[in-house]
Amino acid sequence: MKKNWWKILCALFLVYVIVAGFLSDVPHLPILHETIRNQYFHVCMWFAMITLLTTSLIFSVRYLSNPKMNNDIIASEAARTGIFFGTLGLITGSIWARFTWGAWWTNDVKLNGAAITMLTYLAYLVLRNAITDEQKRGKVSAVYNIFAYVMMLVFILIYPRMSDSLHPGNGGNPAFSKYDLDSTMRMVFYPAVIGWTLLGVWIMTLRIRIQKIKLQTEL
Amino acid sequence: MKKFLATSFLLIISCFLFAQEKVEMADELRSSGKIYVVVGVLVTIMVGIILFLIMIDRKVSDIEKKLKNKA
Amino acid sequence: MFKELSALIQKEILLEWRQRYALGGMFLYVVATVFVCFLSFKNVIDANAWNALFWIIILFASINASAKSFLQESRGRLLYYYTLSSPQAFILSKTIYNAILMLILSVICFAFYSLFMGNMVENMPLFILIIILGSIGISSLLTMISAIASKANNNFTIMAILAFPIIMPILITIIKLSQNAIDGTDFSYNLKYFSVLFSLDIIVVILSYLLFPYLWKD
Repeated sequence: MKKNWWKILCALFLVYVIVAGFLSDVPHLPILHETIRNQYFHVCMWFAMITLLTTSLIFSVRYLSNPKMNNDIIASEAARTGIFFGTLGLITGSIWARFTWGAWWTNDVKLNGAAITMLTYLAYLVLRNAITDEQKRGKVSAVYNIFAYVMMLVFILIYPRMSDSLHPGNGGNPAFSKYDLDSTMRMVFYPAVIGWTLLGVWIMTLRIRIQKIKLQTEL
Repeated sequence: MKKFLATSFLLIISCFLFAQEKVEMADELRSSGKIYVVVGVLVTIMVGIILFLIMIDRKVSDIEKKLKNKA
Repeated sequence: MFKELSALIQKEILLEWRQRYALGGMFLYVVATVFVCFLSFKNVIDANAWNALFWIIILFASINASAKSFLQESRGRLLYYYTLSSPQAFILSKTIYNAILMLILSVICFAFYSLFMGNMVENMPLFILIIILGSIGISSLLTMISAIASKANNNFTIMAILAFPIIMPILITIIKLSQNAIDGTDFSYNLKYFSVLFSLDIIVVILSYLLFPYLWKD
């Protein structure tokens, strides 16, 4: 039970987020209206994804310096769970965009960045499946993972600053910049980020354990 | 001067009107108390998912333990 | 290190020269693609499409050119290199050689492209600088991807799948920059895009330098 305190925290935070997310007061903003509450759900998907992909990167680097099967399993399962949360983020974002910006897909830097990230990590999975030898698979996919992560980071960090975006904080949009994200929203938003991220980590650990069992039973 | 006055007057009016414009929210849903139904449904789903995850977690732990004993 | 590098690059050039038909094939590919575009577009395209089309041709030519840098090497020959040189020198020589090849290829491509489709560039020095930095970036990234793909059963499809998403940051920066060059904006205005492109080139080269040794031994 001592080891599982963060799972309890995750459950408590998520239930709190759903209750408070719907019942708390939010700023009254044009265009957004009640959809501003999506911030407690849609935005958190990206936080979870980035956390998982960063975990994947860390274990890829560790695999290169210490080629143990364990590191490779964690790297690949973290990437898979990250892709899952990224897909949820894309779909929820698409729905939200339809009812605020008027289209399912807009040519926005953040959307394109997210789509490219998804494509990159899907390519990572294809690469993994194309190599049968385990040692080689771990090494080659770790190299690609590091390469991909750095390019993705450049795309996500630098590129949005170079051009306008429909997303808040870029190009003067009526949305929650840091001035609009008022203290009541913060009270829900921060637990939401932590809760959803922990959920992602929980699912990831489950997948890792199952993968390890598979490895053990095959031997 | 007249023109300038007229323009500034209109500008002030428009600002005033903009400030008055009420942003429509789902106040009806809240006042009728129906929002609690939605929250209830979602809390049920969330609790269900978490319970499900806990069950999977326990099952995996169980298998791990059995494997350990076997080895 | 430097001596090793120059010897390896010389070897690459010599090998290429022995297989002149491959070199000729690449040039023919570029010219033929430009001509196909000319025939299908009938030279009524605006600056935007002109720009995008040019870089797409370059991208595909570059994938063709870089793919063979590792896919072509036989296993025996790779083993031979392994005993002779360090992995760092090997990847750097491949990168430099591909960059030079790509530079020549894109200059030829640009010449033919402006011959057939008309030259819409207002700020020519800027555009040439973009071609230089752009082809260096694209080719060095594709060299590394080709090294990765060569480990996955020499599969050309894998190469394309791996390359396209990763190359997007470089490609989008290039297209944005050359759009500005076509519109004739001043160099000073484009400085921040140039710094992004330049740092992307540097990052790619450093990453391949650091990561290639892990692909080397198996």
